[in-house]
Amino acid sequence: MSAVSVKESAGSFGWVRSAETARVLGTLVLTLGVIAWAGGDLFRQDLALLGATYALLALGMYLPFNLAGALSLAYSAYVAIGGYAVGLVATETGWPLPVAYLLGAVASAVLAVVLGFATRRLSGFYLAAVTLLFGVAFQSFLLDAKEITGGALGIGSIRPLTLFGGEVDRRSFIALTLLVVWIVAVAVDRVRRSPFGVALQSSRDVPAAVEAAGIGVPALRLTVLGAGAAIASVGGGLFTTANQTIGPDTFTLSLVMLAIFMPLLGGQGSAWGAVLGAVLVVELTFNLQIFERAGSLIFGIAVLAVLLIAPRGILGYAGQGARWLRGRLTRTGGTR
Amino acid sequence: MSAQLWVSVVQIGCFFGLVALGYYLVLEGADFFNFALGPFAMFSGLTASWLMAQQGWPLGFAAVLGIAIAAVLAVVTEVALVRPIDARTGGGELPSLIAVVAVLFAVEQLAGTLFGRQLMPGRSWLPDTTLDLGFVTVDGQTLVLVACTLVSFTGVWVWMRKSKYGRILRAVGSNREAARTLGMPVGRVRLVAFALAGLVVGLAGQLFSAKAGVSFQSGFGWALSGFLALVIGGTGSVWAPLAGGLLLALAQTLVPYYLGSASLDYAVLAVAILFFALRPSGLFVRRVRV
Amino acid sequence: MTETTHDGPYLLEGTGLGKSYGGVHAVDDVSLRLSAGEVLGLIGPNGAGKTTLVDLLDGAQPADRGTLTIRGRRLGGPPSRRARAGLARTFQHPHLAHDLTVRENILLGAAAPKLAGVGGLIAGLVAGAFRPAGARFEGTLRRVAEALELGDLSRRCGDLTLGEQRLVEVARALAQEPSVLLLDEPFAGADSIGIGAISAAVRTVRAQGCGIILVDHNVDIVASLVDRVMLLRTGTVVFDGDPAECLASAEMQDVYFGTGGESVAP
Repeated sequence: MSAVSVKESAGSFGWVRSAETARVLGTLVLTLGVIAWAGGDLFRQDLALLGATYALLALGMYLPFNLAGALSLAYSAYVAIGGYAVGLVATETGWPLPVAYLLGAVASAVLAVVLGFATRRLSGFYLAAVTLLFGVAFQSFLLDAKEITGGALGIGSIRPLTLFGGEVDRRSFIALTLLVVWIVAVAVDRVRRSPFGVALQSSRDVPAAVEAAGIGVPALRLTVLGAGAAIASVGGGLFTTANQTIGPDTFTLSLVMLAIFMPLLGGQGSAWGAVLGAVLVVELTFNLQIFERAGSLIFGIAVLAVLLIAPRGILGYAGQGARWLRGRLTRTGGTR
Repeated sequence: MSAQLWVSVVQIGCFFGLVALGYYLVLEGADFFNFALGPFAMFSGLTASWLMAQQGWPLGFAAVLGIAIAAVLAVVTEVALVRPIDARTGGGELPSLIAVVAVLFAVEQLAGTLFGRQLMPGRSWLPDTTLDLGFVTVDGQTLVLVACTLVSFTGVWVWMRKSKYGRILRAVGSNREAARTLGMPVGRVRLVAFALAGLVVGLAGQLFSAKAGVSFQSGFGWALSGFLALVIGGTGSVWAPLAGGLLLALAQTLVPYYLGSASLDYAVLAVAILFFALRPSGLFVRRVRV
Repeated sequence: MTETTHDGPYLLEGTGLGKSYGGVHAVDDVSLRLSAGEVLGLIGPNGAGKTTLVDLLDGAQPADRGTLTIRGRRLGGPPSRRARAGLARTFQHPHLAHDLTVRENILLGAAAPKLAGVGGLIAGLVAGAFRPAGARFEGTLRRVAEALELGDLSRRCGDLTLGEQRLVEVARALAQEPSVLLLDEPFAGADSIGIGAISAAVRTVRAQGCGIILVDHNVDIVASLVDRVMLLRTGTVVFDGDPAECLASAEMQDVYFGTGGESVAP
């Protein structure tokens, strides 16, 4: 932000800026905490990796679904594209793996825009159904196109990432992945509060007003569908790099269902709600599942409970509590 | 294609038709697609299979209890979830869609937790009967399925014409606002539609699990198939879901037979996109039925 | 001032505009001209076709017949394209995102020109990821907020009264810095302070050369604010000219008190 605009509105923007700084640094500390927690423990690494992948998937869906209200269920395909891009680049070419992340993101974005264009007149149930069918068809394609995808076996022995001439070991790679999640979450949350994000949120409730202001709503939707698919695809690419294998069963359709619930549980009011939701899902369905196979059920019931009694999610209520506290302390009005 | 495959088409088509009938009832009464109907059917089938295999229950009791549970699940979904969420959000489409997906997931996980996560066999209602038509033999379970399908559709058809609630349901389906303005019990009719849909898909789940078995994840695919059957058939008449179910079953049998297994999913996707893109509203436009 | 000879094309010119719904002509062969710095009042009873006409100008509904130009260039396509050509509008029922703040709703108008087209959208998305909230539009926001006396900008729009929502809508339209402003019943539900603020804002942008089309039932307010009046009845123009003449005209009497129209107190 330029010095001029700070001066223009020193009062309110000064506060917003410090809150933003606190948010960015606070989440960075948390991310570093998770990296330290995962450490060298293989099981914890798995949990961290899965959580990071889920978080990227949920962050990818956050812009089109939570902000713009367009529920596309094709995201399992985009995550898989990211994974297969890594598999193909690693086994068929000598290119560095970051090229695969880029290719996967571009391919997913293009596919999402094409699918979004084909379904541009649909919303709600019909959009959900058609995009779900796309996911089904893509799963069949992965099994069927054996020359490309390796069929049911998938692609194995994927080489690890090399950076600056050295191989990145699993521990460091997972640390990198978690940092990527942090960067993407910070970026997505900033987009939410940016003019673009305001247009996006307005397009859900009052699309006619967004059109009348000069922003083409169909183009706006396609833009975020593409961006969201690219983010989800990066998640798939990172997951595949860490596990060194990808198959048609790696990313299933039910994953998308989990991804819908993550921001609901965590809180839709902020992109960090999606991340918190991803952490909770991993904790409930994998970590707790080992002791008691009811983790997924607990998760399902928690989602229903949130839908019924706490529509703002966990972060929404935490934020409300914090605002109330701040109001008591400073006796000034709250700021979003 | 062998004649025996046609028996399979009729069997699968009747099942899809019954699930689609469930969708149809909820669509008329509440104007939304209850994707959780698939898992309700699964829960019914899995409950009965588990009771018979693990608890030694006789088939009759297990089946009745399974169907009843499906109806209860449907009613609870409406009363405890869809209605309050509708009231809070002003009846938007997206909140009810998410609620229904959440129910779908929760019912799936509940079944998996209670009954285990493996495929369970169903049991035929008429294991010792076969009908030999000369060119083809029809097993007892298919006969039961066809008979139950015809009875269910006829029953709903008659109900919607003769009974008080059935006629109100038709009126609500044609014009919700008018029905509300005229003081019809719109809320109670919704509930009846949900319950009836639960009964129908509960029965469908019982009958179909005997053919292919049932697991806690079966409901997802069933929900999608039933939805497609309804989309293909339309809502012009009570019988439309059955026509859609049979057409879908025919396609599901023919396309892989001639073009290979993956082509089916491509074909379904292509048809769905074309269908929706070319006729964004045409399909669901109802004739005014006064 | 409207009778002076006109150099070059009009700011906005519509010819033979028409829209029918199943054989009923909502707007039938309407032609209108708007000059820069002119306020045109559009009056008529309910169902006269005022809002439909605004929709045809703005592109919210496509016209069945007729042509439209802005500064002599053809104006068509979806509302977003027309907005980029210089049009801004408010709605008869305010269209505001209720979960967003007043500030954010106005920001939509201020930032929209930067988010035009696919290139603008992608640039906006990328810029949004780096820059915290849109501080660069703060000057515009402050100016329109002060012009309309909006007060606290951090309130949720869902919590505002109808009159306050109208003010926010006008502010959002002004933030677009339009050359043609279409106001659809901006005074309905507004209190006297709001009416004063909107009237003052209209006079300000008129002085800056903006052309304004003002739709309202309230003939008194319209008459005090506009340079010219068009009286609509069942989709056709029955009077076009000086506001004072219009009020005294036989057509006016007929539309509002006669057999043809429903009665609306002027």
